[in-house]
Amino acid sequence: MLGITKIFGAVTALDRVDLEVSQGAIHAIVGENGAGKTTLMRILYGALQPDQGTIEVEGKAVRFGSSREAIASGVGMVSQHYGIIPELTCLQNLVLGAEGGLILRNRSAEARAKSLATQMGFEFEWQAEAATLSPAGAQKLEILKLLWREARVMILDEPTAMLSPADANALFESLDRLAAGGATIILVTHRLPEVLEHCQRVMVLRNGKRIAEKAVAETTGGDLAQLIVGGALERSEESSPFSPGSPLLEVSNLSVKGDRGELALKGVEFGLRSGEILGIAGVDGSGQRELFETIAGLKKPIEGSIVMLGNDARGLSTANRIAHGLRLIPEDRHAQGVVENWSLDENSALGLQRLPPFAKGGRVDGRARHQMATQIANRFNTRHGGLNLPMSSLSGGNQQRFVAARSLCLDPKLLLAFQPARGLDIKGTQQVYDGIREVCRLGSAALVVSFDLDELLEQCDRVVAMNHGRLYEPPASLAKDRDAIGRLMVGAQ
Amino acid sequence: MIWRLIAMVVGACAILVGAVLVAHQSPVESLHTLIHGSLGSPAAIAGTLREATPLLICGLAVFIALRAGLFNIGVEGQLLVGACTCAVVAIRLPGVPGMILGVVAGMVAGALWALPAGLIKAYRNGHEVITTIMLNNVAIFITSALVAGPIKDKTQADTATAYVAASSRMPWLYRTPTVEVNFSLVLGILLAIGMALWLKRTVAGYELQAVGANRVAARFAGVSPQKVTMLAMTISGALGGLAGAVQVLAYEGRFYDGFSPGYGFDALGVALLAGGSAYGVLPSSLLFGMLSKGGTALQIDGVPKGITTVVLGMLILIAAAIRYRKVTTTDA
Repeated sequence: MLGITKIFGAVTALDRVDLEVSQGAIHAIVGENGAGKTTLMRILYGALQPDQGTIEVEGKAVRFGSSREAIASGVGMVSQHYGIIPELTCLQNLVLGAEGGLILRNRSAEARAKSLATQMGFEFEWQAEAATLSPAGAQKLEILKLLWREARVMILDEPTAMLSPADANALFESLDRLAAGGATIILVTHRLPEVLEHCQRVMVLRNGKRIAEKAVAETTGGDLAQLIVGGALERSEESSPFSPGSPLLEVSNLSVKGDRGELALKGVEFGLRSGEILGIAGVDGSGQRELFETIAGLKKPIEGSIVMLGNDARGLSTANRIAHGLRLIPEDRHAQGVVENWSLDENSALGLQRLPPFAKGGRVDGRARHQMATQIANRFNTRHGGLNLPMSSLSGGNQQRFVAARSLCLDPKLLLAFQPARGLDIKGTQQVYDGIREVCRLGSAALVVSFDLDELLEQCDRVVAMNHGRLYEPPASLAKDRDAIGRLMVGAQ
Repeated sequence: MIWRLIAMVVGACAILVGAVLVAHQSPVESLHTLIHGSLGSPAAIAGTLREATPLLICGLAVFIALRAGLFNIGVEGQLLVGACTCAVVAIRLPGVPGMILGVVAGMVAGALWALPAGLIKAYRNGHEVITTIMLNNVAIFITSALVAGPIKDKTQADTATAYVAASSRMPWLYRTPTVEVNFSLVLGILLAIGMALWLKRTVAGYELQAVGANRVAARFAGVSPQKVTMLAMTISGALGGLAGAVQVLAYEGRFYDGFSPGYGFDALGVALLAGGSAYGVLPSSLLFGMLSKGGTALQIDGVPKGITTVVLGMLILIAAAIRYRKVTTTDA
């Protein structure tokens, strides 16, 4: 890619960016939210057209009008949001859109699928519904989809965001194998250790400009971090020791059924004291979601009790809990955190709509809401074009900033956060966690669920692990031991 | 995109002109008749307003359900049940109490008629479109049977109830032998303003629209979609019932078999065309009222009344096309 420029309205998203990727290598692209990584990749696989610049694949100049044309030239992308349809079988998902004719030849398709999977060292139940796949499995299926279409250049956007450390390692092993077999892999990521460990070259984007391109062997994590933010990184003060106060949340013997009727939580017990940030580590699907929803009052337990801020939570609806001071940062901001076609102004009250100053009696206080919306947008520097524009005009990272800031704005007593920094860059992540720490040091408490163990170890006061619906606390001597908690996450003692 | 829209509008006009030509009439003359018949004289305007009144109230009924994400196709049934109940009550009580109790009874009956659909939707997730369509059929046949038997006025040949006493009828704002404007029009306008303010300025209105816009996010915000569904269906049904009561007390004076020419169904178009604000129901119902009144004039001219239905259908299609165009552009 040479001299790629893309302008959205008044914003220059990409400014004459060059990118050269050689065959058989893993090439990383790093940068803050809004640096232009995603835009550049979308141009490369044909979802956007550049305003200037050219693309060459294997020496031939190409112009992609759509992702279909890109895949025909061997360029494909695995996105953050998996394009897998849960009701279809794995095999149907694999061939979807590339059936190669009007008549489906299931048998030969399955044979080819099997041979592709064996090459990669994957295993699939091809006739099972895709709904049964773990996030790691879905990710692998996405990669196979590209191989099925004979992609030679593969773009992966944050492939490990949802994976446990073990799954992530396995994924990189297969990527290494692909690269060794002559494929070209472009990895968009926020995680510098991944870059240092698995990639050969790295490009840093900042504000739509190429800042640097280096061989990974010639750089360090500190170097890259500086290049990404454009200056020395301010580390927040090492969290001062504190003494936890009174208990704000006590969960005992909690059992909850999941959506498919299985026992998703089995006798979960823990306590959370004022001032404390408790991290819950675990592979996706270990029961974190059910725990979150039960504490939020969206799911009823079949057994056990929750005492929240001094009240027995059993009789309390979600609205009651919010009135007592519970605040939520839901996992999926699109579906759970915002109304996308409402304005930022309107969204600022969502979840807090019954509390003053948003509500005055039963009335909506429009002026107060506008002020609050301004505050919320400013808190973590949400980039927006106006508070009256719809939420859908914001990028995912900026929506996340908004949702996180909203949960912190009205004196939270107990914060329930599911991946509060999802999709945020280093600086944004630190801002959000600093915000959480700030309210906790003032006497609140936070429960943070994340699939990123390193993030939890860095940001939380205490980390526990979930595995198959049970909660495991590491022994005091290994309270922050990465390996010990990693073992608990996969059920090994 | 804009070309597609223009192509649609041109296409719609072409179909219309074609349809009028098939009926062996001049398109220009037909348009003239349509406008003259609905707006050409004080009497024509009064007729348009008369048609617009039930469409306005029914449109609001559909609109409030739509804001909560519900498609209440059952306004027709709610209107019939409301009208029938109102007539029964108002016939027995002369004077102003008869009018007020008639209105209340009509609203309660309409709300009760919507209740099963609301309950099934809220607690069993049965689709409200199916249940309200079924309830429409039940309402049509039950009211038809009642007015043929138990509540029929035996002194006359029509399958109809007796007339409500003049003292219980809704007052006229302006009345000459040819031009009548009823107070119920003001009632409808006040309702539209009230609904717009309620949706915009109250927490309950905010929560109702949150459920309509994103049910899951509303749940995470502490709103119960079940309660909102029940509330929206109840208000919607009560408004449908009110429309029926108003038809009885303002214009018809009694309930009879075949009472509604389909106001409840036209109201779907009224609400869809209204867009995102309750104020939009005002011009939208006026337009539908115009076409309805003008259509009658066309019929006298020999053009089938169905043509106006075609016009309405085209308008709704164009409105929907414009709205979806916005959705796709923000998505990209």
